[in-house]
Amino acid sequence: MRTAAARQTSLRTTERPRENWVSQIGSFLFVLPYLVAFGFFLGYPIVFGATVSLQHWNPMIGSGGWVGLGQYLNLFNPSDLASQQFWQALLNTLLFVFISVPFLVGIPLILAYCMYLSPWKSVFRSAFFFPSILSATSVMAVWSWMLQTEGGPINHFFGSQIPWLVRQPWAWISIDLVTVWWSMGFNLIIIYAGITQLPQSTLDAASIDGAGIIRTFRSILVPQLKSILSVVLILSTIGSFNLFAQPFLLTGGGPNNSTMSVSQEIYNQGFGLNHMGSATAMAFVMGILLAAVSFVQYGTLRERRG
Amino acid sequence: MKMPGWKRGIIFAILVVGSLFMVFPFLWLLSTAFKPESDAFDGHLIPGHPTFANFASVLAPGSSAEVLRWLGNSLLSAIVASLAVMVLDSLAAYGLARLQFFGRKVILYLLIASLMVPFIAVLIPLYLELANFGLLDTYGALILPYTANAFGVFLLYQFYTNIPKELEEAAIVDGAGKFQIWRRIFLPLGIPATATLGMMTFMGVYNDFFWPLVATSSNSMRTMTVGVALMAIGPYSTNYSLLMALTVFSMIPTFIAFIFAQRQLMQGVATTGINL
Repeated sequence: MRTAAARQTSLRTTERPRENWVSQIGSFLFVLPYLVAFGFFLGYPIVFGATVSLQHWNPMIGSGGWVGLGQYLNLFNPSDLASQQFWQALLNTLLFVFISVPFLVGIPLILAYCMYLSPWKSVFRSAFFFPSILSATSVMAVWSWMLQTEGGPINHFFGSQIPWLVRQPWAWISIDLVTVWWSMGFNLIIIYAGITQLPQSTLDAASIDGAGIIRTFRSILVPQLKSILSVVLILSTIGSFNLFAQPFLLTGGGPNNSTMSVSQEIYNQGFGLNHMGSATAMAFVMGILLAAVSFVQYGTLRERRG
Repeated sequence: MKMPGWKRGIIFAILVVGSLFMVFPFLWLLSTAFKPESDAFDGHLIPGHPTFANFASVLAPGSSAEVLRWLGNSLLSAIVASLAVMVLDSLAAYGLARLQFFGRKVILYLLIASLMVPFIAVLIPLYLELANFGLLDTYGALILPYTANAFGVFLLYQFYTNIPKELEEAAIVDGAGKFQIWRRIFLPLGIPATATLGMMTFMGVYNDFFWPLVATSSNSMRTMTVGVALMAIGPYSTNYSLLMALTVFSMIPTFIAFIFAQRQLMQGVATTGINL
């Protein structure tokens, strides 16, 4: 009896808490194929990129010698042309984040609430969602035609002569308008899903209490949706920071480089001028900035959720 | 919710105006695609002389637009990449969610951290790496990098952790190994989530512009998105009838996906937002 019991406990201690190493290797094999892909196409490029950013690098020749942190320090050299362009592009991109994110969160929030209160929900939802599954190039091809100064449908419709894509502030207004048209539906779907997941009673109770639509929106809906709205805010901020295709294809970064985005600047440095080392240094600075922004935003989101 | 009629009317009007704003560019897109070039600027929504000539010349062999080839490239890379992602991510998510092995936690944190890395940060090193492998301007470059994204692993990870333990234990009693448990329980039960992941990956790869722009260089290896962009700034830059016809053509797979997989796509978007 005693030996049997002892054997049982010993079996338990060797088997339950920790599997033996053969079995662990068997389990690891499930993750291995993905990890290989991850290592080759994400892990290695990050490490390799870090070393490239410390060297002069021309894609034809390869490394042109180590420069240490020189290319990072150069970004803080105000007399360097590439550094001036980088900071200008970063400012442009920040400006875009500030003028696009409020619309990308606010408009879908209002529309989602309207949809919740309205019949034909699925028709409206489809209409608003469809543009967000289009490619950047289809969207920009359509809008570069819509926004032509001479004879473009928008100017024709309003009987105006607005230089949408070639003068400021119209160029930013156009890029903002197109971005909202293109990606608003994505946020709308998330917010609408959030509203339908609220306990039915919260919104109904408000209406029984006689709260109007706007009161309910302000003092019930928005506070209840806080965590979803934070997610939408984070995704939109990151998306807007990664601005590339809209100015690249609509304005070419003009007029006068005023809509040049950081991504396009890095693209020009790397693939236009073949300065891959300094372009990678710029990309890493931008990557760190973006990671910091999303880290801070994730942090506040966590705190709010408690 | 009870509301007076005029409030209902305002809400409905907001939505109708909003939807018209969303649809308006499509109407012009279609209208221009069916107009001869001389009518492109006539300002009429209904084409006065409707024609298929734009589509014919966009698709004509020997035009600088290799439209069918581009479409084939885009479809092939999007399909292969999404199949690969579904299999790799499903296996990895099962391993991470249900099995124990050394370093599991470290791998999870590594994958979470990787979600914060913006694409621009790896663009150039990835380009140089593929150049080293001799894979630039091949299908390898158009497919392989998409398999590294950790998004799908988390999507399925969350789905798999919610599958009841009892199902698994019953299978263990029946003597099923880990692989069989994955194949017989997790793979089939995970089909809704995996289909969503597959659809999202397909659309992501089909629509991607930045990576195929730098990863391909020959006209015959371009994808649909890059092809449209090059024609828009090149040969079609002044001929909007041809550009709109090409754009309509490039949207056909998107339309099909929208009609048949709208629910999966919206589901994917909604869960992305809610699970974060």
